[in-house]
Amino acid sequence: MDVQAIIDECMELWRDPYPHLARLRDEGQKPMAVFCSYTPEEIIHAAGFTPVRLMGSVRTITHADAHLQAYCCSLARTDLDMALAGELDYLEGAVFVQTCDTMMRLSDIWRRNTDFPFHGDLVLPIRMGEEVSLPFLEEEVRRFRHSVEEYTGESIWDDALEESIHIYNRNRRLADRLYKLRASSPGAIDGLSATAVVTAGFWMRREKHNEMLHELLEGLDTGKAAGNGKTPLFVSGSTCTTPDLMELLMELGAEVVDDDLCSGHRYFDNYVDEADTPEEALARRMWGRINCPAKHQCIEDRAEHMLRQVQDSGARGVVFFLQSFCEPHLFDVPYLRERLQDELDVPSLVLETELQSFSRGQLRTRLQAFIETISGV
Amino acid sequence: MGEDNARAADKERRRIKSADTMRDMMVKYYTEAKGAEGTGRHIAWITSGAPVEPLIAFDVIPVYPENHGAMCGASHMNVELCEVAEGRGFSRDLCSYARGDIGSAMTKGGPIGGLPRPTFLVACNNICNTVFKWYEELARFFDVPLFIYDTPFVRGDLPRHIADYALRQMEEYMGFLEEVTGRPYDEPHFVEVAAKSLFASALWKDVLACNEHKPAPMTCFDAFIMMAPIVTLRGTQEVVDFYQGLLDEMKQRIDEGIGILPSERYRLIWDNIPVWYEMRNLGRLFMELETCLVADTYTSAWTFEGVDVDKPLQSMSKIYTEVYLNINLERMADKIESLATRYGVDGMLMHSNRSCKPYSLGQYDLAREFAKRTGKPALIIEADHTDSRWYDRAQVENRIRDFVENLLGESVSV
Repeated sequence: MDVQAIIDECMELWRDPYPHLARLRDEGQKPMAVFCSYTPEEIIHAAGFTPVRLMGSVRTITHADAHLQAYCCSLARTDLDMALAGELDYLEGAVFVQTCDTMMRLSDIWRRNTDFPFHGDLVLPIRMGEEVSLPFLEEEVRRFRHSVEEYTGESIWDDALEESIHIYNRNRRLADRLYKLRASSPGAIDGLSATAVVTAGFWMRREKHNEMLHELLEGLDTGKAAGNGKTPLFVSGSTCTTPDLMELLMELGAEVVDDDLCSGHRYFDNYVDEADTPEEALARRMWGRINCPAKHQCIEDRAEHMLRQVQDSGARGVVFFLQSFCEPHLFDVPYLRERLQDELDVPSLVLETELQSFSRGQLRTRLQAFIETISGV
Repeated sequence: MGEDNARAADKERRRIKSADTMRDMMVKYYTEAKGAEGTGRHIAWITSGAPVEPLIAFDVIPVYPENHGAMCGASHMNVELCEVAEGRGFSRDLCSYARGDIGSAMTKGGPIGGLPRPTFLVACNNICNTVFKWYEELARFFDVPLFIYDTPFVRGDLPRHIADYALRQMEEYMGFLEEVTGRPYDEPHFVEVAAKSLFASALWKDVLACNEHKPAPMTCFDAFIMMAPIVTLRGTQEVVDFYQGLLDEMKQRIDEGIGILPSERYRLIWDNIPVWYEMRNLGRLFMELETCLVADTYTSAWTFEGVDVDKPLQSMSKIYTEVYLNINLERMADKIESLATRYGVDGMLMHSNRSCKPYSLGQYDLAREFAKRTGKPALIIEADHTDSRWYDRAQVENRIRDFVENLLGESVSV
């Protein structure tokens, strides 16, 4: 496959992954839904399932309103709506990770109202990176592994798990290389395409995604002339469910050079230590990650990490692209904006969005004004 | 004239006298806390579900932004405080306790001129995960240490590794307090404080149980007010004395057949935090509808069970981890069903509270489960605990009227 064909395929998946997910069953795969970048996908993968990420969809809610109030995030509402409508019947089950209050309650609501064969829960500490929580987290990973084993009736062998860890680590390295190219070889791949390729990985078998990334990296012309005259921007938030935001930015003469999205850079940050025992190593990776606002590291970490990322990427502005009602992100915004402005003199824009009422026109106006301010047009 | 006098006398007869004692106690507490600002005494801001007993044992003054938030809400002052926080960039969709508190910290606004400045902070996420984000902001604002007591969500029975994690942190909490206060952990003293706390909580439980009697000697709106000491100062002798007094008064009311309403026709459970700015209006409405809110899922959160005094830290950590909001929907449904049976209610009124996701998400499923298990109906009304901008009084009152009118000998289809 040539570079453009790979990018086109990924863009198509990003626009609407669901028809593709439905086909996975026919291909003999067992798709298992995950919602959060803290899910130890390696365990699910090693047990023979294909972890696929549910990131909501742009739709009118018909079924979920009987279970979830309108004041909770559209990811939860649209995911539940699809499940209740029977549109996700090809799933083997779903794994819920305790991050925010909405996900915590969604797990119960989902379990009570759907009939998927498997339902997994993973309770995480919020105090990450502190000695006191590590034994708990390790035990929780072990418990989750047992729950998957209990469901399949078969053990997950350590060597199978090690193999899955290896595959996922390779995926992280390849994604990281692709992301770094934007700074080291500007012009080799644009921000929209790079993000599309990484995002598409959520909906395919990780081995296949590795091949794809490898092929792409081989095929890219890294010698292209530097600079494309576009305004470099950084995007912060949880997920970019659709390519709309980044397409708009491209159209408006901006380029996303890095992000801290949990469907982007935050997802592949940090590796699982392959020298350690698998469960301990999986727990340690989660424990050592930074930048998820639903977790407490120490008060400074997230801002410092983001400031460094913004500085390294050369971004001249930050777009906070947030789900309405998302408490962890919304709480951090004033502080992060203040530090970006005070310490880096980098302005930022906050966009709140709901999938079921996504307004491209309104986004365009606000983004255009923001980009004009930064680029001094 | 004679009729008016009789009405006034009846009102006085039904008035809960302990309310005066409580008011005095809370005024004294806030005066002391405010007076301690800038002195050598430690003041800690703490979340409502966090273990307060260690603070009492270490002679720290505990201050509750949530209790203060309720006060700001009841005095219709919270919206302007929220607007201050919104001006700083906090979204209107965030918890109005948090927004109001941040606004009050920034401006010293509210009915008592703001809370005294904390020397450190304690947040426990057993009630929600909003609190640790909120307290992170406070820690930055005041530049003081923050201790987070992390209580993972419990589905089914409490697993060993969660219990161990909770205990480790309770030990760590003591170490943290030793460090910030410069005092050593004194276990016998802690046990003494914990015993008083548990005793007060047992008395509170007995007070609430008095409402099993018909007519009910108080409504849960009274309980919302009377819970202030058990939330803020449990572990002190005066709180034990207060609840003993309140219990005696309730028992006496039962003996004398004094109900809180002139006439009690229907009995309901209330679910979720009160609509603080609307208590008076809702109280009037229920009186008019001859409906008594006899029990609720909120105030009973401070009734602790299953305590082993020989292992105070372990017992405490277990209690604090398994609070009502930190358990799964099935366990919540069990508790609601038990309230319905014990209090002999005709239905349930649920406040879908925009400010509180852990309390509100799942209510639709709980309402159906309640109807299925008890054969009684549930009504869900939309509001926010202290942000009145989200509240539509006419609509809520109409829905409540319709609901109560339909209670007449109704059973529901599920």
